[in-house]
Amino acid sequence: MEHVIALDAGMNKYQPLKKIICYDDFDKGLNGWMDLHPNYVGKDFNTLRYSHVDKTQWGPLMLSSASFRLAGTHGSMDGTYSLKLSTRQAANPYTEAPAPGSLSHGIKRLTTHLPKGLRQYEMWYAYTPEQDRQGLSEQAMRAFGIFFDIQDDEYRYFIGARYLNAVNGEMVRRWQIFKAKEVTDVEWAYGVENDWCKMGIDAMWYGKRYADGSTDGFEFIPDGYQDLCYNESDDKINWSYLRLLIDTEKREYVELQSGSKIFDLRGMKPTLTAPYARIKGLFNPSMWVENDTDRRVFFYADSVVISGE
Amino acid sequence: MRHFHASAVERRKYFKGTMSSHPMEAGWAGEAIFFLIIEELKGKDARLNACVEISADGINWIKEGSVFPAIDQPGHYFCKVSHFGNWLRVHGEITGQDAEIKASVHLHLKA
Repeated sequence: MEHVIALDAGMNKYQPLKKIICYDDFDKGLNGWMDLHPNYVGKDFNTLRYSHVDKTQWGPLMLSSASFRLAGTHGSMDGTYSLKLSTRQAANPYTEAPAPGSLSHGIKRLTTHLPKGLRQYEMWYAYTPEQDRQGLSEQAMRAFGIFFDIQDDEYRYFIGARYLNAVNGEMVRRWQIFKAKEVTDVEWAYGVENDWCKMGIDAMWYGKRYADGSTDGFEFIPDGYQDLCYNESDDKINWSYLRLLIDTEKREYVELQSGSKIFDLRGMKPTLTAPYARIKGLFNPSMWVENDTDRRVFFYADSVVISGE
Repeated sequence: MRHFHASAVERRKYFKGTMSSHPMEAGWAGEAIFFLIIEELKGKDARLNACVEISADGINWIKEGSVFPAIDQPGHYFCKVSHFGNWLRVHGEITGQDAEIKASVHLHLKA
């Protein structure tokens, strides 16, 4: 039988691999993207173990029309609504563990169904701090990123990229990939014994951070400096393209494309961690944003496409 | 089919003096219910008076008119809103000597 596939016109701005696993246009709802919260499996539905990082307070996700105090509604790239991640008005200095609520994190919980091979994460996105004070506030945005949280038969690993925009109010504008340094689980979890998290997992908030913007969880991409389009006012957003290509057979990075710039990541490896119980086949695309100071920052996804070969 | 979204806007957070929930965009929804889940009320004669607020920009807030019943013991409480623009939040005043509450705010939105 011959199959004819007609793709939504909104897919024209994407370059998916052969198998489209999901095309999430947020004009159609949240499409399974949700907040990240800890495991409430302890007494009275509390968390079972103490963690130095409070994951109960990450900012909530919502469907946004990208409306601002002076500009009115931006809408999204195709239609009215985007997925918005918003932090709370709290931040620690860069070299400390992230403050409760200083990140917002979106996750779509999937499992894999294709043979191992190439996987791709594409997104059109925009960002801005809340326009709650005068001036231009590009430096209030510390970082944002995308990744896959994967568990195959042998390993769990986080594979993705982070744009480090600013550190303690100074612009950095450099891309990094998830790759952990050789530290112990206890060092990874800020000195906490028996933390749920193991080295290499959840680098968005675990792993010691250093004043130059490096961390125990990320590695700078060579020649990874990039000026993104921020625009000239906190109430003007521009939609930008981001694409991450990985290989789950080789468990390595292939390519990162931001706008028209392509970074060749072939041969670079994520950090492999022993598998966790009960999450075999995990394939969670995720995105997050982190603020650099005590104000909300907003990250908007017009749409996301996850595809495989 | 009507769109629906339940958001845990605030999760098991301690408040003293005043509480304001995270500004939520809800322009797509035609109706909303805010739930206040009070797990703890500490202090002498601790009491929470809370109401729904709307906003033109998500930054400056105005009382919408819908109010929660006065809350002086733990429990689940709700407040309905059916005509609003884009932004919604709950604002509350906590009174009583050394009063503190542990509260969650959930927002249920339906197109």
